[in-house]
Amino acid sequence: MTAEQVVFVLAAVVTLGSALGMVTTRSVFVGALWMIAVFGGVAALFILLGAGFLGIVQILVYIGAIAVLILFAIMLTPRVMGDPNAPRYNRQWPLVAVMASALASLLVALVLRTDWPLAQEGAPTITGFAVELGKGFMTTYILPFEVASVLLLVALIGAIVIAREE
Amino acid sequence: MAQINWAETIWLLGPEVILTVGALVVLVVDFVRDDDRGPLLPGLTLITLGGAFLLSFTYLGLDRTALFMFEVDNLTSFFRILATGTSVLILLVSVDYVRSRSRHAGEFYSLLLWVTLAVILVAASSDLILLYLSFELLSITSYILVGWLRDEARSNEAAIKYLLYGAISSAVMLYGMSLLYGAAGSTRLEDIARTFSDPAVRVGTLDELVLPAVVLMLAGFGFKTSLVPFHQWAPDAYEGAPTPVTAFLSVGSKAAGFAVLIRVFLTALPMFQVDWAAVLVAFSILTMTLGNLVALVQTNMKRLLAYSSVAQAGYILMGLAAYVATDTSTLNGIAGVLLYLVAYLFTNLGAFIAVIAYEQATGSVSIADYAGMVRRAPWLAGALVVFFLSLAGIPPTAGFVGKLAVFGAAINAQLYYLAVIGVVNSVISVYYYFNVVRQMFFMPPPAEGEEPVRYPQAMGLALTVSLVGTLLIGIYPQPFLDLANVGRQFLAMLPFA
Amino acid sequence: MVPYVAIAVLFVLSTGVAVMIMMVGSLFGPRRPTPRKLMPYESGMVPVGRAMQRMPIRFYLIATLFIIFDIEVIFLFPWALVYRQLGVFGLLEMFTFLALLVAGFVYVWRKGALEWE
Repeated sequence: MTAEQVVFVLAAVVTLGSALGMVTTRSVFVGALWMIAVFGGVAALFILLGAGFLGIVQILVYIGAIAVLILFAIMLTPRVMGDPNAPRYNRQWPLVAVMASALASLLVALVLRTDWPLAQEGAPTITGFAVELGKGFMTTYILPFEVASVLLLVALIGAIVIAREE
Repeated sequence: MAQINWAETIWLLGPEVILTVGALVVLVVDFVRDDDRGPLLPGLTLITLGGAFLLSFTYLGLDRTALFMFEVDNLTSFFRILATGTSVLILLVSVDYVRSRSRHAGEFYSLLLWVTLAVILVAASSDLILLYLSFELLSITSYILVGWLRDEARSNEAAIKYLLYGAISSAVMLYGMSLLYGAAGSTRLEDIARTFSDPAVRVGTLDELVLPAVVLMLAGFGFKTSLVPFHQWAPDAYEGAPTPVTAFLSVGSKAAGFAVLIRVFLTALPMFQVDWAAVLVAFSILTMTLGNLVALVQTNMKRLLAYSSVAQAGYILMGLAAYVATDTSTLNGIAGVLLYLVAYLFTNLGAFIAVIAYEQATGSVSIADYAGMVRRAPWLAGALVVFFLSLAGIPPTAGFVGKLAVFGAAINAQLYYLAVIGVVNSVISVYYYFNVVRQMFFMPPPAEGEEPVRYPQAMGLALTVSLVGTLLIGIYPQPFLDLANVGRQFLAMLPFA
Repeated sequence: MVPYVAIAVLFVLSTGVAVMIMMVGSLFGPRRPTPRKLMPYESGMVPVGRAMQRMPIRFYLIATLFIIFDIEVIFLFPWALVYRQLGVFGLLEMFTFLALLVAGFVYVWRKGALEWE
């Protein structure tokens, strides 16, 4: 077991365990806090994959902005800390369990059985990755980049339309 | 890294540049003049859309790629024309509607332009990344438009349902796309096709990825085109949204979904047609049947049109499912899909315009309140009859020509049972369409509503255009057949078909 | 990968210290609750009314605006690393991106979403 594998197992356990905690808790607020842990685990996974910039962006944007937004949205709801008398799962949980297990087994089998074509060059260096990203945005992926800015603009308009105070 | 020829790129992307600039101008004018409610903003929007519409015709016959992933070919030109045309008609009817129901009208026009741009981007993407981003742009703009009437609970509910459903289906679709990327090492549709056209790959394990990836991606594509079982957002979203937005969702958004289906399946996965055609046949049957059966029991006009829209998506899908690669006549499925989309554009928009006009005048969308419409608004009632004839596929209307094309394609592909199911479903649909006609013509109007229904000129113009289009395609279909046959040229230029 | 080890160590140590402080406090500290001690602290006064007022939606709007402009800044980072190699066109491409978002910013400003009271 190399150090990298140990860290991977740790990150995976944190991510999956927090995700489990997130969906099993009765309080939406606690769920959002578990979600922050999930984002942290995913950031660690990004770093392990050599995408250091994306890992830091994950922490900055997902934990720093999106999780905060979700917490604000939760605080707008009437019962922030959850209803202790509410049923934990709704009545359809057996069917969902079956389907989710089926889907999971299918996807896991697919991923394990396939002979994936592997990349020829190794993982980029820390600054190399961000530089490649920058070059990509400005050349090959210029159109998705500009569409992303349109998407952000539309989101701005939407935020004002939906949430402005009258 | 190839150098970008900027002058050429700006020309190739002309309509999109016009739409972007127009949308920005409308936004700026809106906040500079502080909620102008006069004709300036709709006028600017109309000029933008009209300019983009006319410019789109100049690209017919090209086969170029702009900025590495925006295909400027006949398929894109077709959807540019369709999207801008749809939005012009929607604009004409939404001016009065938006002004009377909300305090802020300016952003609506800007969003209408952005959503048109999104439809075109979706139809033209030849790379999975751009495709996903454009898809999300279309979805998010639609969520905002559906939830436009902030003060109405139904509009909020519709937006939330639409958003939740859309977010999940989009996540599933992205997973499917990632499987394809993993197999091909590239997100470009052509590279995926190139990978799978290598005989060495076909006997390996990568082959097994395709069917699951296709089904996962169909979650997202099916959501946009409201295929069963991804249609469940449609009735609530259609009912709660402002009716012009519903009209746009039923035509423009759906057209974008079909554009994606055509482009992804034909460009990236033509060699797997055996697999995805079978899946599409199953979805087509499910969609047609369920849409029609549930429409039978509806009492709300918007919900009825929603389920009818779902069923129509099933018919359109039949064209793609029955696609015969070697057949370049009109009866290859793709021409059928495109022709049906044009026919459906005029017909469905027309029906919604009539519903909007009646809703603005009487405030109701319940079918029971349509009683006696022939006395209060004879022109509207007559137009609705024509649109229903077209939706049911009865000659001499556009719907008949569209259905002829897709059923003909199914027979041509020897999927006889599919065509039979389609015909049976069309017969069933006659019942619920003519239930409304019966209400309009043979039921006495409610006592107090005897004054004639008035509607603004713009709406009347849009209604007339839809009516003329519906009848024209039915009586003299040749120019529209030629337009749909641009699909043939698209097929001829596919590298790996 | 090696530079990240420092971050990982920092993270593990800070989590460990925080957890340890809380655990030690709850294990070894005295616990003798009285009703007075359990009431929320309000500088000696008895609290009146509920703790949670209806939260103004302004916070949510500010958080949304923050996300959008944060993402815009994120896009600036990789561009900043390469813009010198890309010449004028790189600058213009980023200016288009920024122009769209500046339009959005002015729109938000003029619509009064940035007013605090």
